Amino acid sequence: MDSVGLTVNSGERLMAGFLFDVKVLELADEKGEFCGKLFAGAGAEVLKVEPPGGNPTRAFGPFYHDTPHPDRSLYFWHYNCGKRGITLDIQAPEGISLLKRLIAQSDVLLDALPLDTLARLGLDWTALQQLNPRLIYVALTPFGRSGPWRDYKATDLIHLALGGQMMCCGYDPQADGTYDTPPIAPQMWHAYHIAGNQAFIAAVGALIGREATGMGEMIDLPIHQAVSVCTEIDVPYWIYNRTPCYRQTGRHAQPAIGAEVQFRTQDGRYSIVLPNPFPGGYETLVHFLDEKGYAGDLLSEHYKDPQNRKGLAFARHFAEIQAECVAAFGMEDIWREAQSRGIPWAPIRLPEENLQDEQWRVRATFCEVEHPELGETFTYVGAPMLSHECAWRTGPRAPLVGEHNEAVYCGQLGLSREDVARLRAQGVV
Amino acid sequence: MTRRPLDGIRIADLTWLLAGAGGPRLLASLGAEVIRIEWRDRLDFLRYMPPFAPLKNEPAERAGVLELSGLSKEGVKSVNRAGYFNDINAGKRGISLNMSHPKGRELFKRLVAISDVVVESFTAETMRKWGLDYEALKAVKPDIIYVQQPGWGYKGPYVKFASYGPIAQAVSGLTEQSGLPAPFPPAGWGFSYMDWSGAYYCALAMLCAIYYKKRTGKGQYIDCSQVEPGIYMTGTAILDYLVNGRHYQRTGNRSPYAPAAPHGAYRCAGDDRWIALAVTTEEEWQALVRAMGNPAWAWQDKFATLAARVRHQDELDHLVGEWTKDKEPFALQEQLQRAGVPAGVCQTAQDRVDRDPQLKHLHWLIPLPHSEIGTWPVKDVPFHFAHATVNQGGPTQRAAPCYGEDNDYVYGELLQLTSQERAELEETGVI
Repeated sequence: MDSVGLTVNSGERLMAGFLFDVKVLELADEKGEFCGKLFAGAGAEVLKVEPPGGNPTRAFGPFYHDTPHPDRSLYFWHYNCGKRGITLDIQAPEGISLLKRLIAQSDVLLDALPLDTLARLGLDWTALQQLNPRLIYVALTPFGRSGPWRDYKATDLIHLALGGQMMCCGYDPQADGTYDTPPIAPQMWHAYHIAGNQAFIAAVGALIGREATGMGEMIDLPIHQAVSVCTEIDVPYWIYNRTPCYRQTGRHAQPAIGAEVQFRTQDGRYSIVLPNPFPGGYETLVHFLDEKGYAGDLLSEHYKDPQNRKGLAFARHFAEIQAECVAAFGMEDIWREAQSRGIPWAPIRLPEENLQDEQWRVRATFCEVEHPELGETFTYVGAPMLSHECAWRTGPRAPLVGEHNEAVYCGQLGLSREDVARLRAQGVV
Repeated sequence: MTRRPLDGIRIADLTWLLAGAGGPRLLASLGAEVIRIEWRDRLDFLRYMPPFAPLKNEPAERAGVLELSGLSKEGVKSVNRAGYFNDINAGKRGISLNMSHPKGRELFKRLVAISDVVVESFTAETMRKWGLDYEALKAVKPDIIYVQQPGWGYKGPYVKFASYGPIAQAVSGLTEQSGLPAPFPPAGWGFSYMDWSGAYYCALAMLCAIYYKKRTGKGQYIDCSQVEPGIYMTGTAILDYLVNGRHYQRTGNRSPYAPAAPHGAYRCAGDDRWIALAVTTEEEWQALVRAMGNPAWAWQDKFATLAARVRHQDELDHLVGEWTKDKEPFALQEQLQRAGVPAGVCQTAQDRVDRDPQLKHLHWLIPLPHSEIGTWPVKDVPFHFAHATVNQGGPTQRAAPCYGEDNDYVYGELLQLTSQERAELEETGVI
């Protein structure tokens, strides 16, 4: 495997990626780039096809030193790490024939282009099958390829609104039950994380199925549906009990507003303390609060009787006592001690605050990625899991615009350098 | 003939809750035979968690809430009636097996011998204490795939720490990134997003390993954590800190990185009704202005360009909100979408289940029979295969199993126990 560059390095041992012999062709904007990133991480060889000049997602901030530049979008770096990249105008006649040759050589075609783009170029599923009967074609579309909303326009925010996430997330209502704050969309492209994860799962399933049949597959993944199934109890509550759930600060949307779980720390940050549902969970937490000097009246005879610890009034009282304890310490101070007793207690960190954590150092969660064009190396998020047999690919850095044009067009498709120069002059690559 | 991508794959499923049990759920939809293993003394909390399917001829039961001192089992009429459990475990088989009993573990090994994957989400040391670590499983089945998901991961100093969705969200940074700018606290997530994400990574770990085994013949051990997939999604913010020294600051519903305005949720007519608008391009802005009836304010210089609109977002949001506040949300959504403006109502569960015509068109809920509560809608997987049969009914075409429902199939058909052996095992509290 070394000779074709499909092994990835993990520490001292050279290990293969899970999908070491899979070739993925990615035609994607922000809708599909995360899915492609998963393929690259899992060891597939991902070739990203961008329009000449580069993908529109290269214009997403933030930028290296805050200077917009197609090769310096930190968004693009994160979501395209480990991929190779070429430029190609797939609308041009020569472009489409090159695209067809690439499709013929691929195992997976990841298509997150605007709806119907490939079909309009004559590349519907029937045509794709003729080009490559073993192709797994994954079509990520906002709402699906048919239906009353097929042509609706969407963004991450719109998906999280329609999908139900927003109505689950936000802040407590006022005392009269009405809300003075809007539903909240958690930021960071989560609609596309949700869809990308599920698209990847389906595609690897299809690759496994192909082992038995030798035949390709088409997978249609409407992002709206992917997002809509990714909430929790709100849908079962409506289906089974016709009961709505209400959003509340930092905790699950529920049919009733419960007690707080998120408390301010001494250093002006926040921590979360969850009830431990196992037997003895309550007692352990009270004992811990007592050790820290903040058990309030919980050790009184009255509260020793479980009958007196029921209902919302007690839950709120208990939360106030926890809040006092949390407020007496810094965010990072005592949570590990609580956790070592089995208390689900955690700091509400900024993402970068994980960089220093021993847990992630031991697990090599972060990795170094070299940017030779800048003469610098940066820390990236590496593998989301550990395998003793396979390595998660953690580099190289995202391709520069058209970085692999020559390698692919000459090395893989056999064009001459003159051909490529001509295509570049004509604006095809 | 019905063909499913994972035909012939069998999974011994020792997971629970959503972060664990959601992983094998996805593989069941793709056709794997998932055998969920449970024991009556320590059942999945979700079997006690409302909502419950109403009994026949009874009005819908009143919804309960989680009691703080642990999950209340009071008043739970049957462990087979929980609606959320039914959804999370659809397409699986279920057996009762006491893993704490030595004979139970022997029986488990016989199941491992005919399985491709063992997956569990116990606390970290449980399997090792039972003498069932990877080496032991491999001795039974050399090419077994063992996926472990103990919250924070098996390797590392936090091996014994507890993790639930909100804990993983808090540590990874996802909670801090959600909500209105300070002085508001983080809003966090109103559901366990990292339970679903944990389930996705559990599923993709199993699938990647199955593919690798098909190609190389080798099994493997994978140490999954529920927190790392959360960190995996925050990479842009981490780079922004490392490269530019910038700490992430919450932006509410405003677009943090790609310039857009208006971009937020705007109040509509009705009780707590909101519509989300996300205007990125000049065409979309012009379309919105036309839809609003060309108000004079929209033609001021301060709203003339995207950059200007982003700069004056506070005022812009107020003016747009004044326009939306008495509009019926779904009519407004349709009007704006027809005009080419990205717009979507902040939908409730009721909206999605009863009204959303697109989800209906996509058959997002699949009716699946359950042996005790009858047929109820279950959320189907969102991937539509053109050729293979893929849906949340999986090979069983059932919703979740009742406790021990498939003992006959597994102990009788698969493991070929005699009725006398089974009777003895039942008597000694093994099955």
